[in-house]
Amino acid sequence: MGILEINRLYKSFGEHEVLKGLDMDVPEHSVFGFVGENGSGKTTTMKIILGLLRADSGTVTVCGEKVSYGETRTNRFIGFLPDVPEFYGYMNPVEYLELCGEIAGLSKSVTRKRSLELLELVGLKEYMKRKIGGFSRGMKQRLGIAQALINEPRILICDEPTSALDPIGRKEILDILLSARGKSTIIFSTHILSDVERICDRIAVLHGGRLVLCGTLSEIKERNRHNGFVLEFENEEEAMLFEGTDELARYPISLSRDRNTVTVMMGDLRYDGRFLLGLLAHLGLVPRRFEVMEPSLESLFLEAVR
Amino acid sequence: MKGYGAFLKKEILEYAKTYKLFIMLLVFAAFGITNPLVAKLMPEILKSLGTGGIVISVPEPTALDAWTQFFKNTTQIGFIVMVIIFSGTFSSELSKGTLVNLLTKGLSRPATVLSKYTAMVLLWTACIALCFGLTCVYTVYLFPDDEINNLPFSVFCLWLFGLFLLAVLLLSAALTGTAYGCLLLTGAVVASCVLINIIPEAKRYNPVLLASENMSLLTGTAEVSSYGSSIMITCIAAFAFVLLSVMAFRKKQI
Repeated sequence: MGILEINRLYKSFGEHEVLKGLDMDVPEHSVFGFVGENGSGKTTTMKIILGLLRADSGTVTVCGEKVSYGETRTNRFIGFLPDVPEFYGYMNPVEYLELCGEIAGLSKSVTRKRSLELLELVGLKEYMKRKIGGFSRGMKQRLGIAQALINEPRILICDEPTSALDPIGRKEILDILLSARGKSTIIFSTHILSDVERICDRIAVLHGGRLVLCGTLSEIKERNRHNGFVLEFENEEEAMLFEGTDELARYPISLSRDRNTVTVMMGDLRYDGRFLLGLLAHLGLVPRRFEVMEPSLESLFLEAVR
Repeated sequence: MKGYGAFLKKEILEYAKTYKLFIMLLVFAAFGITNPLVAKLMPEILKSLGTGGIVISVPEPTALDAWTQFFKNTTQIGFIVMVIIFSGTFSSELSKGTLVNLLTKGLSRPATVLSKYTAMVLLWTACIALCFGLTCVYTVYLFPDDEINNLPFSVFCLWLFGLFLLAVLLLSAALTGTAYGCLLLTGAVVASCVLINIIPEAKRYNPVLLASENMSLLTGTAEVSSYGSSIMITCIAAFAFVLLSVMAFRKKQI
């Protein structure tokens, strides 16, 4: 049983059906990458989990409790970072976190202590007396993480936390999320696949209102692995020389070449790999790269949403 | 009702930091000081205008004139300023998305609505008290000998109408979610209340009575008892509107 379970969730806006029977199960202590194109329904799903939007049908269970629309009870388990978090511009970060802590039901001293720890964590300590109104987008994103973590939630939900940031800001946000991994289950929506590869251990791809791909990252890659090797040579001539050998032509494999890279598909990685290495030694060729073909997340994603 | 106190504090802090508090107090303080003054100086002002030979006989001003100014200013400009200032109370939070963080922290929706109403009522009460106090002091100073009937009751009626108006505003804001929609709906409700007055029998039940017939109480042409029905209707309506606002906001998709 997962910390968050979604069963047969339907939601449409007018004529437009966004979710068509979404099922999802998030196990505790995972970093869950929730991937999908723009407009695929990631934010809608998150808002239904938080009770901000009404589902047409279906159930959402958080830590064993059913979420009901318009209620905020189950939100005590959750910390939420909206895609563009907004704050009261006239407050400073400390005042804002104190407001959040009080609403979450923390005592004054605990709130104070947590606020300082979190501002330190997200790197806003030196700005703690400044008005939020003058903050940059990256700073607001970081304060957004701080407010989401104030009540030490069991689930941290982040809606595209890195989409609007520059590469440095992105890396910083991802590092902060990684550091929160031990305490909370992190659900993290995005369409940036490299971010998913960096921090997630599980992934779900939302397409056409349903999950089209779901599981641990290694499992999915394993399942979609094709037996084959990629060989990259110094130049095109070497690649052509390798491609054109008689031994290869007699062997039951399929070959394809793209400039100086040759892809070899075969039946048995161990046995046939040894054959390829032997052939290279025989030809006196040293490839720049010789590796087992790994399915990239991008290719998996493209395949899943096709 | 989780977060009621915390959110109420935030509302009041917001009034202070976004100058809403300052503007409201300034407007009502200005009324408080000028009400008796304008009454006192009115004959002088008319004289100085030079009426071109037409003789206007102006009776000697009394404390009643000062209170006429008080009720006129509060029910006209005072209410308009108040409605405009409070019209953005939900729309700004909904359009910017500032409520999302707090709702997902466990702030309950009824608490959001009720603390907004409480904060508006508190500010309105402070404003009317300030204006009333200042008008009182200056009126006693400028017209020391004049006696006034039923003044506290008449001001209470005005205050109660303010509560009703704020409840209408709250419901309009919760239903429409935009500042202009809120202004429009509030205006429509007030206008229809005024229109109801066309039926003479309805007049004594109409909340508008509390903000339009205040001077009759002071001059003694109306009895306190004749306001009972209107007070009851106003209280029930205000309560119902607040309740409906809570229900409307609970069903709002954010």
